[in-house]
Amino acid sequence: MLNIAALSGKIQEAFGALDRHHLNGGQRLAVKYFAVAMILFLAQLLFGLLAAIQFVWPGFLFDLVDFSVNRMVHINAMVVWMLYGFIGSVYWFLEEESGTEIVGLKWGEIAFYVLTGAVVIVVLVYLLIQTGPGNDATRWLVNEGREYIEAPRWADIGIVTVMLVFFYNVAGTFAKGRWSGISGVLTLDLVALAGLYMAGMFYSTNVTVDQYWWWWVIHLWVEATWEVLVGCIMAWSLMKLIGARRRIVQTWLYIEVALMFGSGILGLGHHYFWIGTPDYWFTIGGFFSALEPVPLVAMVVHSIYDAGVHRFRSTNHPALGWIIAHTFGNFLGAGVWGFMHTLPQINLYTHGTQWSASHGHLSFFGAYATINIAFFYLAAQRWRGNVWMGGDLKDNGWKWKWSMILLNLGVMGMTVALLIAGYEQSFIERAVEGSTWGGYFAAQNQPWFVQAMLWRLVFGVVTLAGALLLTWDLLTIGAGETRLALVLEPEEELAAEPTVAVAK
Amino acid sequence: MIRPVELHDFLLSFFASASIIVSGACYALLFAWARLAGRRAVLAWAYAAYALLAASVWLLAETAHFEGYWRVLTGAMLAGYFVAPRAVFRLCSATHAAEHDEQTRSAISRPSQENPP
Repeated sequence: MLNIAALSGKIQEAFGALDRHHLNGGQRLAVKYFAVAMILFLAQLLFGLLAAIQFVWPGFLFDLVDFSVNRMVHINAMVVWMLYGFIGSVYWFLEEESGTEIVGLKWGEIAFYVLTGAVVIVVLVYLLIQTGPGNDATRWLVNEGREYIEAPRWADIGIVTVMLVFFYNVAGTFAKGRWSGISGVLTLDLVALAGLYMAGMFYSTNVTVDQYWWWWVIHLWVEATWEVLVGCIMAWSLMKLIGARRRIVQTWLYIEVALMFGSGILGLGHHYFWIGTPDYWFTIGGFFSALEPVPLVAMVVHSIYDAGVHRFRSTNHPALGWIIAHTFGNFLGAGVWGFMHTLPQINLYTHGTQWSASHGHLSFFGAYATINIAFFYLAAQRWRGNVWMGGDLKDNGWKWKWSMILLNLGVMGMTVALLIAGYEQSFIERAVEGSTWGGYFAAQNQPWFVQAMLWRLVFGVVTLAGALLLTWDLLTIGAGETRLALVLEPEEELAAEPTVAVAK
Repeated sequence: MIRPVELHDFLLSFFASASIIVSGACYALLFAWARLAGRRAVLAWAYAAYALLAASVWLLAETAHFEGYWRVLTGAMLAGYFVAPRAVFRLCSATHAAEHDEQTRSAISRPSQENPP
């Protein structure tokens, strides 16, 4: 019989197989985070697919794994895989950016195994125990009951502890080595990342107060701390990928932080429209939500400018492809799909319908999934020994191209299907029927809604196919490649053309 | 307070909101392209996109019953979308200025190295 020590040894051995001698300590740890992130990404899609099937055939897995459980695992897996991706990305560049070894790599390793163990236990409890009586024992051990952050309280404490270890490693390593614009912004952001999560760790019997603080975690994590974290990751990636100059990417990182403070933080108001908060939130939420797309429009100008200056010369075509997908996905998902239903005059009808789900699918994919995937390709390149990932790959790069097509097509298809369902729901259930119980069922049984949910399932299958192909590609890309990568070195100070060097 | 969108204006309201962002992006894209390529014709298309944006803002203001303070939002959107691409282009030019200077310098110095006097 397998004992715990043997199991622990086997797990360590499995992750140890991911190590490569030419990676630094932080990068070896990062690869483990990326591996778990990909597993959780597939889990997210699998449980999303089960939930989508249940919309079409409500009896499917009834009383075994209900829709509420599938949806919870689907969304929690998404949040956690993205966090794993972000943490891995930061560990990946930490030693290079600071110019020194990570101060607490051992603690980082322990935190990784603790977090991964906790995630496994939480998911098993979600699936096997599912619910409990409405008391403290349930809140501490089974499910906290708050949408999107259902993890029981013990896991909450674990997440904050792991975040603090992560913060210690980042701040301590930069303090020991050298600071830069990227590292300064990143360190301050991690304080907010760990701190804001605690806003969701207390409970109030007043549902308005409870929701008020809960949104601090949901909105401010996603539209403030994650945005800045992605900005830091993107800044570093662009230096490696297209040889962008440090001074330029850092300037734009500061601009992004300023724009985020200008619109993203008070954009929080659009979640306060209907939870019992005062009327002034209509104005604050409406005004700052209307400003939130401005940074995205600004991004369009910057992309055109950079495309003109750098002509898309890059060291890693799949990563660049995913960064371009990020630009479009973020603009459409967060900008267009967000603004269409954010003002209170229309949000009155759309709030909490499939319209929100449509916006959520495209914006999370466009803003965060794409960046993580781009970084996975950067990591895969170095993991294979910094091999060639330019335009003429051995198999013509069909796997990365098709996985990108399938994933983008799948997500866009789901988004449009959910948009149709959301429009119908807002119109019939909310506007015509006045949000009555009868109106809810009238909307759910309307042919447009039913057909839209069927199409959502079809495009969900397309998305899963794309993710499976992506996994295959990440495991095989660069294997057997003998050519070394073209490296466009970012330069500290102003110099002439980006230096073209051959990797050693 | 707010006055919700009327039932018959539902689609118009969604369409106007989406059109604001899309035409705003088209204006930004065409403006940047026109300035980079130095094409006046493209600049005219950029202003056409902005005119579409202005019409969309007006449509949204009408369908969503913007009154009183909400009129400020109309002005802020019109001003913000007009100014943002220009401001960002200036920032792009400023942040890349040194890069251009260096490239120009190296382009000037290169022929003299290849053809020594």
